[in-house]
Order: sequence, then structure tokens, then C-alpha cells
Amino acid sequence: MAAVTGDEQKADLREPPSWRRTKNRIATALMVLAFVLVIIPLGFVLFTVVAKGISIINWSFLTSPIPSIVAPANEGGIGPAVVGTLEITGLATVITVPLGILGAIYLNEYGGKNPLARAIGFFSDVMTGVPSIVMGLFIFSIWVLHFGFSGLAGAFALGCLMLPIVIRSTYEMLRLVPNALREGSYALGATKARVTVTVVLPAAIGGIVSGALLAVARALGETAPLLFTILGGLTTLNANVFSGANTALPLLIFTNATQPYPGAQDRGWGAALTLIVLAFILMIASRLVTARFSRYSR
Amino acid sequence: MSAVAPADQAVPAGSAGALSERRPLGDRGFQGLALACGLLVLVILVLIAVTTSQQAASWFSTEGLKIFTNNWNPAANDFGGLAFIYGTAVTALIALVMAVPVSVGIALLLTEVVPYRWSRPIVYVIDLLAVVPSVVWGLWGILVFAPWIQHIYASIGSGVNGIPVLGNLFGPPTGGPSFFTCGIILAFMITPIVTSLSREVIATVPAIDREGAYALGATRLEMIRGTVWPHSQGGVVGAVLLGLGRAMGETIAAALVIGSSPEITSHLFAPGYSMPSVIANQFGESTGVFRAGLMGMGVLLFAFTIIINIIARGVVERSARRKRGA
Amino acid sequence: MQVRRRQQVTMTGVAAVAVVALSLAACSSSPSSTSSTPSGGSSSSTSGASLSGTLNGSGSTFQTVYQQSAISAFKSIQPNMTVNYGSGGSGKGRTDLASGVVNYAGSDSPIPSDETANFKGKTVLYFPVFLGPITMSYNLTGVSNLKLTPTVIADIFEAKIKTWNDPAIKAINPGVNLPSTPITIAVRADSSGTTQNFSLFLMTAVPSVWTLGSSSTINWPHTAHAGNGNPGVAQIIKSTPGAIGYVDYADAKASGLTFASVENKSGTYIAPSPSSASPAGAGVTVAPDLTFHAVWSSSPTAYPITYQSWVLVYAKQPNANDAAMLKAYIGYLIGQGQSLLTGLGYAPLPASIDQMAKAQLSKITS
Repeated sequence: MAAVTGDEQKADLREPPSWRRTKNRIATALMVLAFVLVIIPLGFVLFTVVAKGISIINWSFLTSPIPSIVAPANEGGIGPAVVGTLEITGLATVITVPLGILGAIYLNEYGGKNPLARAIGFFSDVMTGVPSIVMGLFIFSIWVLHFGFSGLAGAFALGCLMLPIVIRSTYEMLRLVPNALREGSYALGATKARVTVTVVLPAAIGGIVSGALLAVARALGETAPLLFTILGGLTTLNANVFSGANTALPLLIFTNATQPYPGAQDRGWGAALTLIVLAFILMIASRLVTARFSRYSR
Repeated sequence: MSAVAPADQAVPAGSAGALSERRPLGDRGFQGLALACGLLVLVILVLIAVTTSQQAASWFSTEGLKIFTNNWNPAANDFGGLAFIYGTAVTALIALVMAVPVSVGIALLLTEVVPYRWSRPIVYVIDLLAVVPSVVWGLWGILVFAPWIQHIYASIGSGVNGIPVLGNLFGPPTGGPSFFTCGIILAFMITPIVTSLSREVIATVPAIDREGAYALGATRLEMIRGTVWPHSQGGVVGAVLLGLGRAMGETIAAALVIGSSPEITSHLFAPGYSMPSVIANQFGESTGVFRAGLMGMGVLLFAFTIIINIIARGVVERSARRKRGA
Repeated sequence: MQVRRRQQVTMTGVAAVAVVALSLAACSSSPSSTSSTPSGGSSSSTSGASLSGTLNGSGSTFQTVYQQSAISAFKSIQPNMTVNYGSGGSGKGRTDLASGVVNYAGSDSPIPSDETANFKGKTVLYFPVFLGPITMSYNLTGVSNLKLTPTVIADIFEAKIKTWNDPAIKAINPGVNLPSTPITIAVRADSSGTTQNFSLFLMTAVPSVWTLGSSSTINWPHTAHAGNGNPGVAQIIKSTPGAIGYVDYADAKASGLTFASVENKSGTYIAPSPSSASPAGAGVTVAPDLTFHAVWSSSPTAYPITYQSWVLVYAKQPNANDAAMLKAYIGYLIGQGQSLLTGLGYAPLPASIDQMAKAQLSKITS
């Protein structure tokens, strides 16, 4: 124990010397300060969005077709964009998250140091920094030129953005699962597949879901990749995500919120508020579901 | 899928060793599936790299080494991109310097300081930060934040004008949309990523190690430095690299708040430009070599990311090796 | 033995991946417009008044407001047709049309020479749809009717004139109380047809003074403040005393900005408005393919910084339904739709050009 040194006259057998305690307190204070520093801008942004967008939100706004930019605030709404965002981002998630998780499983559990795994890891690292607009252009030249604009193309573009995030975060979490867990399962006679699915994945599920949620949150808010893949500019709903031009909330926000016409501004900020609320509900729901699962696996 | 391989228990059932023909079909199927996904991921990533480079090819061939000059003038057919490279580096650096300490601080707060019951609301707050769309950050930045902060810049600028180093960094010319504003907005955007992943990584530190440190009389800070940090530094660096990737690749928000002025200047409060911003702003009207140049910015960003990743990984490897004593 | 076999498998895998990736990349590098039209013409072809199907367009943001209003109004004429206009910039519109992913494009400029090859020899028809003034909007308290000449504008935007009470400005504004406020120039951060035509105006009117060329992206002086889109520039002007910038009339009016009167080719100072923009189309030479430049028009009542926008389509459409839909929609844009323009802040086409455009409709065939 530190106090045994007899350094301090009033040595408290449980407490470390005061300078170490002070450093500790400063560190704690800094951590709290970090949190406060984050709350302030978040508060301002949310306040701005709510103040500008809340007045226009009602059920008819969320479901009506999109009017022209000059239309006043009480005409029309953002219905096609809401459906578009949900469908396109949903499709992107369904395609990318399993692919990314399985890819990371390959990297960590099976690949080791072989050249293929190294190549995947390398390119995945490279792709984390690619601007979202480049991903959109990539899908444009690979897919849209042959098959036209569609929500599916938008989903691919968003998926390209999400994939490196999912792979990297899943990989980091899988790497941290202690080998003892795996070895214990092997000792009981389980196959590698069973070990991975029933032991390793549940142990890392919290982090994997976090990573996936971050990827989805990013995809929900991206504008540039959609510009080249879904066309936008829609006024009526296109519920078919696999064919035909589509639109999404970020595009609507981008075109409307800076317009000098008050109706367009209201619609733009209303769309921004809708998007934030939607995304937040999604994240909370996912975290609650995951918490339920983790409890079982512990 | 069947679990137990009969007879020979000496080899773990999961190894693809000499008994591979005894492995159950489900097990091999799963491995095949994982391999297929890995290959598919590789195909996609390679395709992105290849097609982007192809589209940028005419810029590289026309300009050659001139791409590293600071002379971007489409009207005169000059496409030197140094100003954008500089701007990306500067804004990403500012974003990292601001976001990483804050994010790691919050992650530690959540895992070490705050009792579990209070950690859930804080996690939700961080999630809320993550779901703000990038376009909203950009709009808030240009409509609310930049007009407000330009007065602060102006006061700081006039205050340090003339002082040797500070004057060069923070002196005039100053403007609302600038390198620094862009860096701040990017910092807000990458904080959730770094915080979330760091928290998950730090949470995997075994309780035994933590308790051991406390048993030896360590304060919380000392425990973090001695136990948590060595275990999780690799993961935290991975989280930081993801955040950096986002900071370098953010397009719309950066385009709105960076000031769109292709200049290489040490004055951080002055307007600047960055690679994704110029692509976003000028792509709609570009053709030919101009467009190839913009695509080339994307290719340069690949190179950037590679270099930074290699350096970061090298640093982590070296410090991990030193700690292990190997 | 096992190790070598695994290595072989991996090597084969990597090689296969490389082959697949490179061949896919080779296929995708050539934009194909030969595939069956990916957009539009998706429904049964009909004859007679009621058409159904989808038309996709993209391009000039100058046209966005008109296109959206027209699409809304057009719904009551052809309720079964869906038209989508995705903006994105004139350059993007032309690229999308060349790649065959849209049925029509909006463009503020004719196809430049380095892009003509992308259209693979197919005839492109130009349909002018409207004219619009570019205002010189400014923020100067107490000064409400500023006059400017092209020379002064050029000097301001090259940062050669730096304060409002400069002798050159005072000379053309006798009796106006000009303060010594420094001039802040507000320009576009993003490439745009507005910038292209504004710089074209300066290059045409005062070629000896204007040195920055004409392009959708200009290397403005470093002191310029850049904003995204016309609304972005408008916002800079509104919030910066002493600022002056170039903004579309529609956006300037909606933002409540004050604009200057500009001296035209005949020497008269004209204020920007839809009624002073239409004459600009009458005083220019129109090529047989209906391309022209409305800036620096010789018409005596024209506002000199007026520009135009076209809808571009292929003359030969892949099927009869596409051709019919395009004829109907473009016919609306140059016909009944023109009545929407003044209310939106644009100028209708002068009668001469409108007639030529209507006559060209018959050239859309399948």
C-alpha cells in the first residue's frame, strides 16, 4: 500500500498521496468537460432544426407528395422522400451489414495472415477515406449507365460507404474476444463455425451493432452518393425501390433548406427534423434489442 | 450442424488440418460463405479503386507532376491541386486534434467513471450526435455557426496580429467559413464514431486487470494508463482511423463551410479548400480533363489514406512491441 | 502438403478476383447509350391525348424552379405522365443525356466542343425555354438606385476597384452619396451556368478590361467571399455591408435584395426585370439549331446581363411513346407554360424564338 512508505505525516491507509489524487481528479474533470463540450453544439444544432422545422410537421406533411420549390408551406409535403430514405437505406443495410460482418469473420477467424486477407484488410482501410461523392460516381459508371436510376443503385452507393466501416469495426471487436473463449469451445468439441456463431459473435455483438449503427447513421444522412444514383427531383411516390428514379430526405434537405422561398425552407427543415427523429428511433430500438440479446448470452 | 467429430479427439474439431475430410458440411459451408463474402468485398473495393483511377487517368497524363502545383484555374486549363491536398490535411488534422481527446475522454467517462445506469442516457446522447445528417451540419455551419464565430475570429485575429507564430496561425485575414470552421464541424461529425468504437473497445478490458490495478493502490487515472490503455490502444487507433477517414471524405458539409478559396496559407481562420469540397462544388459543370482532375482528387485521397494507415499501424506495432518487451 | 495446397487455392482466388475486377472495370469504362433506354417509356404506348409513362431530366439549376412549377401544372394536362427533374448542374445534365440515363437535359450553354464526342454523332435538338436576368445585387445602406457599367463591374470583380467611393463609380452615379466602405465581392463557390454567362457577358462587353476568361468556374480574387448556389451568394450579400455579387433575378427578388441598373450596348441604364430580359432575345443572332447568347444584346431596351437556358433532347427517340411524351412536355414548356414564367421571376421567350422552337418540335421522331 502506498501509505506504508511513511512519506505523508497524515498518511491515510486507504488514500493515495494528494498529488496523485489531484491528477486523478483533474482527469475526471477533463472527461466530464469532454462530454459537456459535445453537448453544447449538439444542443445548438438540435435547437436550430427543431425551431425551424417543427411548425410544419404533421401527418399530412409526412405523407403528401412533394410540391414545387415555390409552393407555400401548407401545400404538399415530403412523403416520397420519407419512403425513399427508408427503403433505400434499409436495402443498403440489408445488403451491407451481413456482407461486412461475414467478411470481417473471414479476416479474423479464417484469414489470418494469408495474402487474400491482407488484401481485403488493406483495401478496406483505403476505402474508409473515400469521399462519398466518389462512391456515387463509381456506382453511376458501374450500374446506372447500364440499368438506369433506381433506389437499388442508391442502396449500392450507400452500401459502398458503409462497408469499410462495418468491416473495420467488426474486425476490431472480433479481435478483442479473448482466445480463451474460443479454446474452451473447441475443447468441448465444437466446430469452428459453431464457435464463431455461438461464442465469438455474441461476445462481440455489442460492438458489432455499434459499428453497424454508425454505418447506418452515416448512410441515412448522405447526399452526394444519391445525387448520381437516384436522380431526385421527384414529386410523386415511387415505391418501387428496384426501378425508376427516386428521392430521399437528404437530397430534399439540401435543395430546399437554402432556398429564399419560405415554403421551401420550412419543408427543408421539416425534412431535417424528420430524418433526425427517424434515425434516432432506429438507433434506440437497435440498442434495446441488442441489450436484450447480450443479456442472454452472458 | 453436427458438432462432434467422432473418434479422433487429439485435433480440435475446427481445424482445417489433415482431418479436413471429416469436417461436417455445415462447418465447411460456413467457411466457404465467409470466404465468398471476403472475396466479394475485395472485388468491390478493387473495382472502386480501378474505375476511379481510370477516370482520373487523363488528368495524371496531361498534367504530370504539375498536379502538385498550386494553380487550379479551369478557365485557363490549369489543374494543379496542391491547395486542395493542403486543405484536406489541415482540416483533417484540426478535426482530429479536437475530436480525439474529447472522444476518448467520453469513452473513458462511460466505461470507468459513470455508473452503468447513467451510461445509457449518455450513449443515447452520443447516438443523437451521430444521427445528425452531414447536410444539416453543413447548413447549421454556414447559416448559424460561421456568422457567429467570425466575430470571435476577428477579435482573436486582431489580438495576435504581429506576434510571430500566433499571428501567422490565427492572424488576419479571417472569415466565417474557413479551415478552422471546417475542422470544428468535422470534429463534431467524427466524435460519435471514435467515441462509440473506443467505448466498445475499452469495455473489453478484463475486469480482472482493472481490479488488479486497484488492488495495487492505483488511482483511476493510473489504472487507465496502466491497464486499459495498453490493452485497447490498437482498437482505439482503429477507431481514430475510421474517424479520420470520415473527416477526409466528408463532402457536402465541408463544401458548405470551408470557404471555397484555393489558397495555401498558414492562417487557419482564412477561407480554404479541400479535395472532397472541390469535387462536390465543381463536378456538376466539369468535362474532360477538368473532370478527370476532380476524380484524381479521389485517387489522391486513396494514397493519403494508405500512407496514414501504414504510419498509424506502424506506430501501434512499435509501441505494442516495446510494451511486450519483445 | 496442406500448406502448399492452401497457398495454391489462395493464389487462384486472388487471380480470379483480379480478372473479374478488371473485366468488370473494362466493361464499365465506356458509358453505353446503346442499351435499352433505362429510363422512361416504361408504359404502354398510346396515341391521342392521354399519355402515360415517365420522363427523367437533369441539368441546369437555373431551370429548377421553372421545371418544378411546370411539372406541377402539367400534371393536370397529362395526369398519367410522371416527369422528374433532378437538377445537378448543366454539365451533369449534358453528361447524363450523353450516357442515355435521362430523356432530356437542361443546359445554360450549348454543348462545348470537348463534349461533342460524347454524343456519338447523334443529333441533339436545342429548345430554348426562357430568359433570365442576372442581377448585380448589393448591400449599401442609403443607396437604392446604383448604376454600373460593364467596365466598372469588371474592375470591381477583379478587385481593381476596392471601395465604394472610388472615382469610377462616382462618375457614373452623380449625386449619389457613396460611402468609403470597402467592397466585398460575393461569388459562386460551386461551378454554374450563371458564372459562365456572367463572365461571358464581361468578356463580350469589355474584352480589353476583363482578364479572367469565361467558364463555369472562375479564379476570383482571393478576397472574394464564395457561397453555394444563388441563395448562398444572396445570403452573403444580405449579411455583409458593402457586398456586391451576381445573383439570378428570381433568387435576388425572393431574398429581398437591392439591384443595380446596368448600362447596355445602346448606352441606356436598364434595371433587371422579366420585361427587360425578354427583349434581349430579340436582339441577338440565333443559329439554325436555336443556340444563341443573350448577353450584351443589341436590343435598345434589353437588360445586358440576360441569359438563357435550353432543354436538350435527342432528335431520334428509341420509341414512339418517348417521342410523344417529350413533344407534349417540351411543347408545354415553350407553350402554355410560358405564362408561369413572369410570376416566377423569369422572362418568357420573345415571339420570334418561341415560334422557331415550336416549329422544331416536329423534329422529335422515333
